[in-house]
Parts: sequence; structure tokens; C-alpha cells
Amino acid sequence: MSIQVDGISKSYGSFAALDNVSLTVESGQLVALLGPSGSGKTTLLRVIAGLEEPDSGSIQLHGEETTHELAASRGIGFVFQHYALFRHMSVFENIAFGLRVQPRKIRLSRKEIRERVEELLKLVQLESYARMHPDQLSGGQRQRVALARALAVRPKVLLLDEPFSALDAKVRKDLRDWLRRIHDELHVTTVLVTHDQEEALEVADRVAILNQGALEQFGAPQAIYDHPASPFVYNFLGNVNLFHGRLLSALSEGSHSEAERPANHTAVGFVRPHELAVSREMPGDSRAVVASVERIQATGPLIRLELSVAGNGRPVTAEIDRKRYEELAVVPGDKLFVWPESMRLFDGDGASSLLLDEGAGI
Amino acid sequence: MTLRLSARAGRAVLIATALLFVAFFLLLPLAAVFAQAFSRGASFYLDAIRQPDILSALRLTLLVAAIAVPFNLLFGIAASWAITRFDFIGKNLLITLIDVPLAVSPVVAGMMYVEVFGLHGWLGPWLSDHDLRVIYAVPGIVLATIFVTFPFVARELIPFMQAQGSDEEQAAAVLGAGGLSIFFRVTLPNIKWALLYGAILAASRAIGEFGAVSVVSGHIRGKTTTMPLEIEMLYNEYQFSAAFAAASLLSLAAVITLLIKKLLEMTSGLHGRTAQEDAES
Repeated sequence: MSIQVDGISKSYGSFAALDNVSLTVESGQLVALLGPSGSGKTTLLRVIAGLEEPDSGSIQLHGEETTHELAASRGIGFVFQHYALFRHMSVFENIAFGLRVQPRKIRLSRKEIRERVEELLKLVQLESYARMHPDQLSGGQRQRVALARALAVRPKVLLLDEPFSALDAKVRKDLRDWLRRIHDELHVTTVLVTHDQEEALEVADRVAILNQGALEQFGAPQAIYDHPASPFVYNFLGNVNLFHGRLLSALSEGSHSEAERPANHTAVGFVRPHELAVSREMPGDSRAVVASVERIQATGPLIRLELSVAGNGRPVTAEIDRKRYEELAVVPGDKLFVWPESMRLFDGDGASSLLLDEGAGI
Repeated sequence: MTLRLSARAGRAVLIATALLFVAFFLLLPLAAVFAQAFSRGASFYLDAIRQPDILSALRLTLLVAAIAVPFNLLFGIAASWAITRFDFIGKNLLITLIDVPLAVSPVVAGMMYVEVFGLHGWLGPWLSDHDLRVIYAVPGIVLATIFVTFPFVARELIPFMQAQGSDEEQAAAVLGAGGLSIFFRVTLPNIKWALLYGAILAASRAIGEFGAVSVVSGHIRGKTTTMPLEIEMLYNEYQFSAAFAAASLLSLAAVITLLIKKLLEMTSGLHGRTAQEDAES
């Protein structure tokens, strides 16, 4: 079941929660809607679910226009951020709810309902919790009940609103992997909302990045990580070093930009910490600058060096692997040469258009 | 050290003051009612409360409560549902209006009904043409009682439903449940304790209401006197023992409602814990 979102806008008073958002979720895919709070990601999910009506635009589920259909008739499963389990019902009754309220004509028999619920309890590994009430479960268990409840009615689309935000880090990671396995098993088209970029990049087939109600970028996780379309996406997807500067020469060859920018035009260079090379010897790269090592964070597989570069206001972070760290034998106070192995350059005048994707002079 | 000592002394003084007040202003008078009621012996007491007028007043009181309380349940659920689940123009006005009966003196409430339904009121001629009596009859007493009791259920439910939020109802809707199904399977089980609590408060007020009912009742013995009115009439006729016997029945009703209320608080966790804490636990 594919989802087609076409030109959706939605405002609350003067606040535009969604501004002309379009995207297509292919059947069977797992898509993450990623953005900071207030970016409109949850509103978009609720519009897809039919819990909110958009001001304009349309939602098509598998080519069928559903924009003005009620949530109940869309064939979707929805997992709420705080689970919204029925607190007065047992786990079993929670999962059975969607089956019990079906119209008499298509409702399963009591026996079939019991079998289906038991099957789901097994899927979410909560067989022995059937008689418990939600307040007797941990956060992760409640989340699994919520998922089983949503899946009970065999939805064609599964929508999850910040499914892991209320859980602690370890449980989060486990549940995330587990969700991906369930998705691969059931092949139900899934959209999940998250503000955690790591979660989105790790679990999803496609990531849609939203900012202030608009879609910034939509694509495969690696494509988005490697080729951020805007400074916002760059900043949002992990640490980045910013270099403000002026173009020494007009960009021409190798430029991705449609419009030529004259020399002396302001630009901002974005370089991820692992894209910075450091060395004790003067390298061939003309962009190399001298930096002094302020702090070293040597826990984990990558060593983070905090460097101060003369002329660059804020400190620069470089990440090197352990082998290189041992080769350099660097200690705080050392002077090193630093240069970007690759960089993306955005217009500095506020238009934020991409000027160059990979190595340019600043 | 001195601070702790003075804190302890302060605590003792406060507790003693509160207990003294309760004893002097509540327990002593309540005991006096029962003492006076039984002053001429148990058999006189039993005879007194078996007088036809008192029995009829008791019946009317219970009848009025039995009509007013369900009405308030309906109104309370409708109003709280509308206020906590929808946004509409005039919502704040509605919230304010619900409190009017608490702000207006019951006597004034009674007079308002006389003005509308009385023989010379706005609807009076039409009612008498159709041979309907509201004022100085049971319908007027019911109306007045509904008026003075209608904030109770709504005021109990609104904060409760606000704290609970509508997530569970939305979840039920997405799962395909219709409006009625959502109400009976999800909403009602969640609000039942608050609902019952509000109903208890409304019932005790309905049973004890004097002012508003007094204006619209007409004090026709055996027909339109409720217990509080009957007690006052007996008292005014210097039948002290009978008056106190009847009063003891009302007091007993109050004690019973208090017990039920306490029991509800204990079993449901209402007011001891907030719904917010329930959601977090």
C-alpha cells in the first residue's frame, strides 16, 4: 500500500504547521519523518492517519483519495506517542479491541479473536502478560502492546508517532531493531515520526526531513547523510564544522550550482568531523591551516579532537581513528595542520543554496 | 533545635484548633440533633418518623433526588465531553455558566422559576391552559433541585477528563470504534469513579436543598413538602421532637453519603491521586 502526500498545508491560527508538503511512500517501505519539535512531522502523520484534516492538498492511500475519509475507514494502524493504551483493559483486551468493534458482518468469532490476539502476543513476545494491565508493564512492554493492538486489524499502513521517545537509551535501541525486523517480516508500509536523527537513519528505508512545516529533503539515509541539500539538514544530521569565508575565484568547473557566484561572494563550508584530516607535516592541500589541540576525547572507536583555528570563531572538531591517533601521539597544546578532505559549500547570503559538493577553495 | 521545637508546638496548636472546631461546630450539634430526637424515647421516635406526613416528605425527597441526579449525570457528561474534547465558540461562557447555581442564592433560583413557570409568569398562562402545574407542585421542586445541583457532576468531570486527555478515544477511533462504542467501552470506564463521585455530591445536595425548593413548593403537607421543608414546618409548629426525629433522618442520610464518598475515594484513588499521576505510573 503506497501513500501519496500531495501539497498538504495545515495551519493552526497564524502558525503554519505544514506548508505544501508532498512525498510518496512506496508500498512496503519504512519511512521516517525527521525534524525538530515544531517542524510539522507529527501533524503530517496525523493528517495521513485522518486524525487531522489538512487545509489543502490530498492524501492518497494506494491511489485512492482518502483526504476526507475518517481515520477508522482508512485501514491504518496508529501507535501514539504515549501509547494511549486503554488503562482499564488487560493487555489481551487492548489488543482485541480493534477486532471486537468491527461491524458484525466482518467480525471474527470469539475463538478467532482469541487466536489472533495470541498470535500477536507471540509476535511482540508478551505471551505471559495477557492478563496484566498497562500500569503493570514497563515502557517498552507498553510500546509493544500498542504495536500489537495497531497490528491486530491487519492495517495496510502502520503509523508510529515518536514510538521510542519515552524509553531509555538501551530499550530504545533494542525496540528499534525489533521494529525493523517486524517490518521486514510483515512488509506493512510504515511511517514513523522521530526527532532522533540516528534512529531515523538507522531504521528507515527513506528519511523525510522537515523543518518549519516544509520538506527539506527526502531520500535514502545514506544519500541524505552524504549529500545534505541544505545547511539545515547538514546541521540536523550530526556534528558539523562551519567555515565562513569568501570565494577566491568564481565557481565554474565542477560546480553544482546553477547560478555562478562572483569572486569575493560569502560562502559557508560544511565539513563533518571525520572529513577533517590532521597531520604534523605540512600537507599538499592549499586549504590546510594550523590549529592547536584544545581537548581530546579518547573514549569510543573514534577519537574526537577539539581544535582552535586562528580566525575561525568557534572550535573545530575532528574525528580520527585510534590507529591515526597513536601515530600522531597528539596531546593537548600540540599544533597540527588541519584541512578538509571533502566539503560542501553553501551560499552565505541567506539563500542557503548549494554551491559546491566536494572540495573548493575558501 | 528551637526551630524544630516551635514547629512541633505549632503543629500541636493547629491540630488542636482544628479538632476543637470540628467538635464544637460539627459533632456537638449533630449529637444534639440525635439527643433531641430520642429525648422522648425510642418508641416516640419511631412513631414520629412513621407519621404519614414525614413518610410522604421522605418519598418526595427521594423521588426528586432520583430525577435530578440522573439528569445531572446526563448534563454533566454532555457538558464535560463538549468542553474537554471540542473547541467551539462560547466554550468559556459555558464553563462560567455551569457555576452560576453555586454563585446564585438558592432563594433567587426558586424565584426565577416562579417568574417563568408561575401563574403570572411568562409561561404561566400557557401552562394553566393546558392544565399543567409546575410551581407549587412536584415538577417545580424537581426543576429547582436540578438547578441547584447541576454544577456538581460537570465540575467533577471536567478537570478529570482534561487530565486524562483524549488519546485513548482517538486510539479507539482509529481502531474502528464508532461514537457509542468509544463512549461505552473507553470513556465511561475511565470516568466512572469521577462520575459516581459527582453523583454522590449532587444527591446529597438534592436531598438537603431547602431555599430554592421552599420558594416553589407551596408547602402543601403530604404533597409538596420535602424533608427539609417538613422539618422546618414541624419546628415552627413547636413539634420539636418530631422535627428533630426527621432531622436525624436527614443527618443520617448525610452521614451515609459521606461514608460512600470516602469509600469511593479509597477504592478509586480519586482525589488521593490525580489522573496525571495515574497516567505516569
